[in-house]
Amino acid sequence: MSNAAATAALADGATAHPSARAGGSPAARRRRRIGLLLAAPGLAVYAVVVLWPLVQSIQYSFYSWNGTSASSTWVGLRNYLNFFTDPVLSATLGHVLVLLIFFSAIPIALGLLAAAVITRSRSRGGAVFRWIYFLPQVLTSVVIALVFKRMYAPEGPVNETLRALGLDALTRNWLGDFTWALPALGLIGTWITFGFCMVLFISGVSAISPELYEAARVDGAGPVREFFSVTVPGLRGQLAVAITLTVTAALRTFDLVWITTRGGPGTATQTPAIALYKAAFVNPDVGQAAAIGVVMAVLCLVIAVVVTRISERE
Amino acid sequence: MKAQKNRSIHRVGTVACAALVLGLAACAPGGGGSGATTSTAPSDVSTDVAAAGDVTLKLSDFWKSAEGEWIDNRIAAFEDLYPNVTIKRTQEEWTQLVSTLNLQLQDASGPDIASANNGWQSLGTLAEANLVLNLDPYAELYGWNESVPNTIARQNQFTTDFSAIGEGSWFATPVARATLTGLYYNVEKLEALGLDVPTTLPELETAAAAAAAAGEVPFSYSGLDGNTAMLFSLQAVFGTATDINDFIYGDPEVTAAQSKLTEAAATMVTWADNGWLSPDFEGLDSQTTLASFLDGDGVFRFDYTGTLGLTGDQLDEFGYIQLPQESGSGTVGVGAAPAAMVIASKTEHPDVAAAFLDFLMSEESAQAAIDLGMVPMLHNDLDTPSTGRSLNEEIAAAASLNADDGYVPYFDWSSPTMLDTVSQNLQLMLAGRVAPEDLTAAVDADRDAFLAQLGS
Repeated sequence: MSNAAATAALADGATAHPSARAGGSPAARRRRRIGLLLAAPGLAVYAVVVLWPLVQSIQYSFYSWNGTSASSTWVGLRNYLNFFTDPVLSATLGHVLVLLIFFSAIPIALGLLAAAVITRSRSRGGAVFRWIYFLPQVLTSVVIALVFKRMYAPEGPVNETLRALGLDALTRNWLGDFTWALPALGLIGTWITFGFCMVLFISGVSAISPELYEAARVDGAGPVREFFSVTVPGLRGQLAVAITLTVTAALRTFDLVWITTRGGPGTATQTPAIALYKAAFVNPDVGQAAAIGVVMAVLCLVIAVVVTRISERE
Repeated sequence: MKAQKNRSIHRVGTVACAALVLGLAACAPGGGGSGATTSTAPSDVSTDVAAAGDVTLKLSDFWKSAEGEWIDNRIAAFEDLYPNVTIKRTQEEWTQLVSTLNLQLQDASGPDIASANNGWQSLGTLAEANLVLNLDPYAELYGWNESVPNTIARQNQFTTDFSAIGEGSWFATPVARATLTGLYYNVEKLEALGLDVPTTLPELETAAAAAAAAGEVPFSYSGLDGNTAMLFSLQAVFGTATDINDFIYGDPEVTAAQSKLTEAAATMVTWADNGWLSPDFEGLDSQTTLASFLDGDGVFRFDYTGTLGLTGDQLDEFGYIQLPQESGSGTVGVGAAPAAMVIASKTEHPDVAAAFLDFLMSEESAQAAIDLGMVPMLHNDLDTPSTGRSLNEEIAAAASLNADDGYVPYFDWSSPTMLDTVSQNLQLMLAGRVAPEDLTAAVDADRDAFLAQLGS
C-alpha cells in the first residue's frame, strides 16, 4: 500500500509538466470522454483493489478488533496514540531512523562517488562492475536474507574472516547482539540499494551534456569541484527517485528482519512492518495493524511529496 | 483552466471520501450481522453415521510426513467402517492454515472439519465468531467428559460468553496423539561419559557438570529465535499442574511467580552462566542447533516430541526423559494434542463430522499413532514397538502424564502476545539485561493486560 502511494507520487512528479493542450474544443472534450471511458475498467479495478482497502484500513484503525469476531470496539485514536505510549512500538520508529542511514544515506553517497569515478575513468569492464553491483536488485530478498543469515552466523564467513585477520576481538554473534544486530541488518540494505543507486546515477551522468564538463574544465575546475558543480546538480531528478525509493524501502523493511531475527534479540530489530505483521496475523489486533499501516503510508507519502517538491524547485 | 479543473476534481474526490468515511463509520468492522455472539450447538444429535446416506466431508489440516500418514490411515479406516462416507482431505502449511482458517470456515465451499490451534488466537476467535460448533451435545453423546483426562479436555473449552478459557463448553476435540515437551539425550554420549540416564533435575545438573568438565556441550540451545522449550520444561518441574494450568487459563488469583516461572528462568540463567548452553547460542537458530545435536553436538536438548524427526537407527541413538516434579510427587509436562479439531458451523453433516472426531480419539487411532512412530494419547496399555528407544520412552512419558493427569498447556495460550513477550524477555535475560524476576513481571503484565481487555 505504502509502496503504491510512493510510486503514485513519483509518477505524479514525473508528469507534472505535460505539454499544454487545448482543452476547450468539442473535439477535445469528446476525446477526453473516450479517454475516460477507456480508462474506466482500470480505474474501477484500482478503486476496488487499492482505494477501497485503503479506506477500510483507515476505518479499522479506529477500532479494537481481532479480525474474526462479530463485535469490535470503537477506540478512537488509541491505536495511533500507542506510537507514543507503547515503548516497543515507538522504538520501531527509532530503528527505522537507523535503517535510513544504511538503506538511503550511505548507498546514495557511495553511488554518487562510484558514478563519478566510473564515468570519469571510463575504464574497460565498467559494464561488468555495474552488473555485479546491480545483482542484489535482481535477487529475491528472501534469498539475500538467508545468505546473510549464514554469513553472520557465529561460525560464519564474517567471523571467520575477522579471525583470519587476527581481529578476534571484533567477532560477535552479529544477529544475536543487542547493539550490533540492527546495524548488521542495515548493512544488508546498503548492499542491496547501493547497486541500484549507482546504476541510476551512471545513466543520469551520461545524460549530462559533455559541454558542461568541458566548460568546467576550461574554467579550471578540479574533479571535486566538477562533481559538486556539474554532476550532482545534473542528477537532481535521479537523486529524487533514489531517495524516495530507498527511504520507503527502509520504512517498509520486513522480509530481511523476519527471516533473520524476527525482530529480536528482545525487540532490538523490530520495525513498523514487523509490528504490523504481528498485530495483523500473529496476535490478532487488526485495528492496531491498520493504524501502523496508515502511519507508514502517510510517512511514505509525505516523504515522496517533499522529495518531489524539492527536486522540482528551480 | 487546468487549475480550475484540478480543483473541481479535488472537490469531487473530497466529497466522495467524506461520503465513504461517513458511510463506513456507521458500521463497525465485523458487524456483518447480529452483534450477539451466541454459539451454535446442534440440538438433534445422533451417532448413527450409516443412516446419514452418502456424505462427503472436507477436512483441512496441516499434517505432513508421519502425521500426514496417520490422518490418511485414519480416513481410510473410517471410510471402511462407513462406506457411505467420503472424506476429502486438503493439506496446508501450518501458519497458512491457522492464519486463513477464519476465512475458510466462512466460505460455503470451505472445510467441514479442520485442525485449528488451541488458545485464544485461533480456537477462541473462531468459536467467538460462531464459525465452529459448540460440541457439548456430542461430548454428552459420546461420553468425552469421562473418557478424556480433564487437563486435556480443558484445552478445548471456553465459556460461552468467551470470558474464560479452560472451562465451559467443548469447541474442539483432541486426537489420540500427543505432542509433549521434554528432554532428549544422546545415548552414546552419556555412555562415553560413564553417566547413567538422569531421572531427576539434580541428577541432570550433575550429569551436565560432568559433561562440561569433559569438554562436551551439556545443553543444545538456540537463542536467535527465543526458544522456549527449555523454560517451560523447567517450569513443569518446579510448578504444580494446578498452578500452571490456572495461570494459563487466566485465573487472576494465580501469578506467574506462583506457577514457578521465576525458578525456571533462574535455572536457565545459572546454566548459561555455567557455560552449559551451546556456545554462541545467541546467534544460532533452532534449526541449526537441532541439526548439530543430531550430529552429536550436545548431550541434552529440551524440545517438542516430533520436532527431532528421528527415524531408523536414530530412534535408538536418542532417548527421552519427562523429568518428574522437584517436589517428588508425580510428573507434570507441557503436552497437548497436536491440534484442536473443529467442526464448521455451516456443515450439513455435523453428526458424521462428530463421529469422525470421536474416531480420531479412539484406542485404534492411538495404536495407529504408535505404529507410525508417534506418541499416543488418551489410552494406555497399547502395544508398544519392540525397538526404538526414544519412541518407547516418549510413550512411557505420555503414560505417566495420563496417569498423573499432569498435562499443562502451552504457555502462550494465556494471551495472544505471550509467546512474543516470553521470547523477547528470554533473550534479554540471557544477555544479562533483565533478571528472572523481570521476565516473570513482564509475563504477569502481559496476561493481566489481556485479562483486563477480556473483562471490558
